[in-house]
Amino acid sequence: MSVAEMPETTRAPLASGVSAVGVSRRFGSVHAVEHMDFEAPAGQVTALIGPNGAGKTTLLLMLASLLQPDSGVVTVDGLDPAQDSAAVRRRLGWMPDTLGVWESLTAREILVQIARFYRLPKTGIDARVAELLALVRLGEFADQPARVLSKGQQQRLSLARALVHDPSVLLLDEPAAGLDPGSRVELRTLLRNLAAAGKSVVVSSHVLSELDEIADGAVFVNQGRTVKQQTIEEAAQQGRRYAITALDPAALAAKLTELGLEFKAGSGRRPSVSLMLSHDDGAAALLRDLVTAGIAVVSFGPASGALEETYMSLETERK
Amino acid sequence: MSAEKTLPGPAPVPDPAEARGAVAGYLGGIRDVVVLEMKQRLRSRGWYIMLGIWFTVIALVTALTWAGWNASMEVRNSMPVPDGTPQPDGPGSAIFEVVLAFVLLFALLVAPALSANAVNGDRAGGTLAILQVTLLTPGQILWGKFCAAWLAAIAFLAASSPFLIFAVLLGGLTPGHVLVSLVMLAVEVAVICGIGVGISALAGRPLFSIVVTYLTVAALVVGSLIAFGLGVQLTQGTIKANQAQYKAVEYVPGGSPAPIEPGYTCEGPLVEHDVLRTERVAWLLALNPYVVVADAIPYPERLGSPYYYSGGMIENISQGARAALAGPEGTYACANGKVQPQYLQQTTPLWPLGLALQLGLAGLLLWLGWRSLHTPARRLARGTRIA
Repeated sequence: MSVAEMPETTRAPLASGVSAVGVSRRFGSVHAVEHMDFEAPAGQVTALIGPNGAGKTTLLLMLASLLQPDSGVVTVDGLDPAQDSAAVRRRLGWMPDTLGVWESLTAREILVQIARFYRLPKTGIDARVAELLALVRLGEFADQPARVLSKGQQQRLSLARALVHDPSVLLLDEPAAGLDPGSRVELRTLLRNLAAAGKSVVVSSHVLSELDEIADGAVFVNQGRTVKQQTIEEAAQQGRRYAITALDPAALAAKLTELGLEFKAGSGRRPSVSLMLSHDDGAAALLRDLVTAGIAVVSFGPASGALEETYMSLETERK
Repeated sequence: MSAEKTLPGPAPVPDPAEARGAVAGYLGGIRDVVVLEMKQRLRSRGWYIMLGIWFTVIALVTALTWAGWNASMEVRNSMPVPDGTPQPDGPGSAIFEVVLAFVLLFALLVAPALSANAVNGDRAGGTLAILQVTLLTPGQILWGKFCAAWLAAIAFLAASSPFLIFAVLLGGLTPGHVLVSLVMLAVEVAVICGIGVGISALAGRPLFSIVVTYLTVAALVVGSLIAFGLGVQLTQGTIKANQAQYKAVEYVPGGSPAPIEPGYTCEGPLVEHDVLRTERVAWLLALNPYVVVADAIPYPERLGSPYYYSGGMIENISQGARAALAGPEGTYACANGKVQPQYLQQTTPLWPLGLALQLGLAGLLLWLGWRSLHTPARRLARGTRIA
């Protein structure tokens, strides 16, 4: 499948992947989502980023065909969930932020039941379930009741459940929450593989540094509105903050002042300075200059991820 | 996976085989939900403990009823009895009635616990939305939950059936009695389960829906009687009737002869009499599960028997309810100058009306619950989240 290009400005729903155009949803007097735009093309991982209460989960519920928007259009592979819910659900995998497990059932039984609910051919179900259990490394716990699984294991089970019917659109609400570092790396690889297989993957998360590694694009939302939509390349282009520590902080500060760079003292445990650099070439040049000037640089690296930079800049704009 | 897409154009001609497949698919989805629910239920220890307690309590009630009957028979046999006094039917019918009343009471108490958190319990646990996002329709989810709750309740009835069968073996009753009463108990339990599942789909919190379901059961059992009693006071009316002239009745020691013919004749001009037109509020009585069950169970015709038999509890409830349905037209002596049949002549049963009303209530609640399970959801109940 060809990777769809992200169009410059779209108001038309995507033919493949998932999109929301001008959707609003209120609960009583609370406007959870107001005229939000979102799109996640096929073949890409799209991050949905925003502070708590920004409307991320509400948007995902609308994309997952569970909530009807008050206004606006949601499409999944070009189909309207309200009109064609069965076809949409066949294409849609959804992993909620709340862990829902049937506690008395084993991991294997849960996946078998879900496969039946998706009306998968009966002969293939056992093999498919075994494959998924291996994928999320739950093989040895497959026949344990779900209640004995740890939070991270339940989270992985939840992911396997979202994948049972091989959906073309995957909506993951905080999939990394509760996962150990090893599982996070595996999740990252898994999501990249799914995107490479032509699926549209939507990830909402707070762990921004991680999204840098996974996502192709990001949609920033706040207070129920889409604040910014950018690709990782765009995020990287806008410059990011670097943190530098040296054995002699005074010498470092002197050199930076001499180079005419604006910097501020870092907030970390070790005495460091941080400064904005517009691109990676500039960073390389600065490091070379510092080293040749005889400054004993101990560390030199990005202080934050590209997405975090955008997020923080949006936060400051808001204040 | 095959991608099915509905194409615009002329509606396809429904193919009978395809329609059968759709029905099978729909039922298959319900079965899958039931399997999920039953696996979840059958593995909780509390369920078996409840079943064990239920079995023990009904065994105790049966044993005590039997012992009580034996004791009363001993007292009776120690007294001289004149010839011709009818021998009682044996302990069967007494035990049967007590056990039946008890099983119905317990079933009414257990059914809400099994059904009234079926939907919102899943909502609270975060598993409902996971079902809703699959290809299951709201109807399949709701029917699956209902069937699972009903099957669990039927397990309780099955645990009590040995005692009903025991009562039949002790004499006086036919297997048909057990069959009819078990069927009626199962139907009543289905009504309560339907009410419980419907309310659980509508209410936000499991505790609230369980309480409301219990209150509904209380309203059906006790409230229907109170409402009938109060309602009757508002049904003052008149009926034209003339005077009943009673014949002398021969005294027979140990029991009175069953009046094959009513013991009076109607004479004189028709005069207005103040009466209570109970037939207007009989439907309230019909809502009562005890009335429905008792009225549906057949009792032997005793018209031909020479002695008036004081019918059992079931028979009395049934005849009382039917008399209320018949109203003064059918029960008041000499109404419209006609002789009224005295006993066991209220043949118009009340239970079909009662069952229809109960099923209507359960159906309405299930329908409302079904609407609330529709996704994408437009409106959500206050204070609930979809996931």
